[in-house]
Amino acid sequence: MEKEEIISSGLLEMYAIGATSAEETKQVEQWKIDYPAVAEELYQIEIAMEAYALFNAVQPAVHLKSEILASIDSKNNLKTVATPGKIISISPLWKSMAAAALVLLVGSAVLNLLFYNKYKNANSKYEEGQQQMALQTEKLNELNKDWTLVQSKYSQPVALKGLEAAPDAAAKIFWMKNTGETYIDPSNLPDVPAGMQYQLWAIIDGKPVDAGMITSKVGKKYKIQKMKTFGKVQAFAVTLETTGGNPTPKGKMYVMGEI
Amino acid sequence: MQQMTKYSEEELIARLQNKDQAAFSYLYDNYAAALNGIIIRMVEETQLAEDILQEAFLKIWNNFKQYDSSKGRLFTWMINITRNLTIDTLRSKGYKKQQKISQDENSVSDYRDKSFNTEKFDTIGLRKQLQQLKPDQKIIIDLAYFYGYTQEEISKEMNIPLGTVKTRMRTAIIELRKILQYN
Repeated sequence: MEKEEIISSGLLEMYAIGATSAEETKQVEQWKIDYPAVAEELYQIEIAMEAYALFNAVQPAVHLKSEILASIDSKNNLKTVATPGKIISISPLWKSMAAAALVLLVGSAVLNLLFYNKYKNANSKYEEGQQQMALQTEKLNELNKDWTLVQSKYSQPVALKGLEAAPDAAAKIFWMKNTGETYIDPSNLPDVPAGMQYQLWAIIDGKPVDAGMITSKVGKKYKIQKMKTFGKVQAFAVTLETTGGNPTPKGKMYVMGEI
Repeated sequence: MQQMTKYSEEELIARLQNKDQAAFSYLYDNYAAALNGIIIRMVEETQLAEDILQEAFLKIWNNFKQYDSSKGRLFTWMINITRNLTIDTLRSKGYKKQQKISQDENSVSDYRDKSFNTEKFDTIGLRKQLQQLKPDQKIIIDLAYFYGYTQEEISKEMNIPLGTVKTRMRTAIIELRKILQYN
């Protein structure tokens, strides 16, 4: 294209106001280099359009200038101090978070200790209670057993009365008529001297038969205890024998009772 | 031009390439109103228009190395950046170009009272002169210059052949140049 044709094409005007396609833009830029007259024409068009823009200008709000200058200023600063700035801005957060975490951890540990102690206390109390309850249960079971014994319709109570050696002594026999089982409550027998033990005798056909050794007091109490079993028996007697007992009674007789 | 009383264009460009903030401040004082005039032609919301102007200047500052004086004048480059940024912003917000055109035929006089007064231009006289521009010519300039219409879009919008768009554009700008020369 000749320069006159270029100038009259309208493309320079389009170029000056940014309305050319990418291809046309490249073309105009080339013409500008090739033809000084085209470059001069374009310059004049641009000046005209700039004047048109100035004529249509509207002053922006006054505050905008300082804002824009501040924003380019902060952007400049960002480039040089961005990295340390980031570290500085993040690290206090982490510090305070770490401090908070530590406080929480310590607080949690203290609470753990507190709760653990409380737990231990409660647990030992609980175990104590368990033990006591077990003891009570055991006692209750014994009492129940004794009571069943006393209550049973087959139970034949036999009161053994104090004799010459111990007139205040007494004992009770519970003989089960159906099974022949024999129980003794030795609660009212005098304390046994060391090395001695009470022995129960069943009197069958006028002869004493060993009915077993009576377990001595545990603490202050005797228990009702099971002795040997007899099918038929006329009387019961308790003698004080050497520990372990004898085949035939050798010691003094303390109590006796007939069925 | 009047804006270059302090710096020559070459000097201004050199300073801006070296990130001279005083030069940038000078640039703002001389061109912000003109760029703002382009933005508010397309954007009605004041806040959005201010955001765009701020972003335009940031772009000019940050991308100044891309400015090539062999391809065009500085002010023209700035106007193109501002216009494209405004169009992109509106597009990203779902606006359509057509929406504001019809009410724009008298826009030169609309904005006259708030217009940027320079010592060089007798704006009242210029306004009278600009009224000599035929409406067809003025619309074609405004569509392209203030609304970023491509030649094809103008052709469609005004229902005239593409060749006619170029011819009219040239006639309009020649007319404009004459008016400006006599002022």
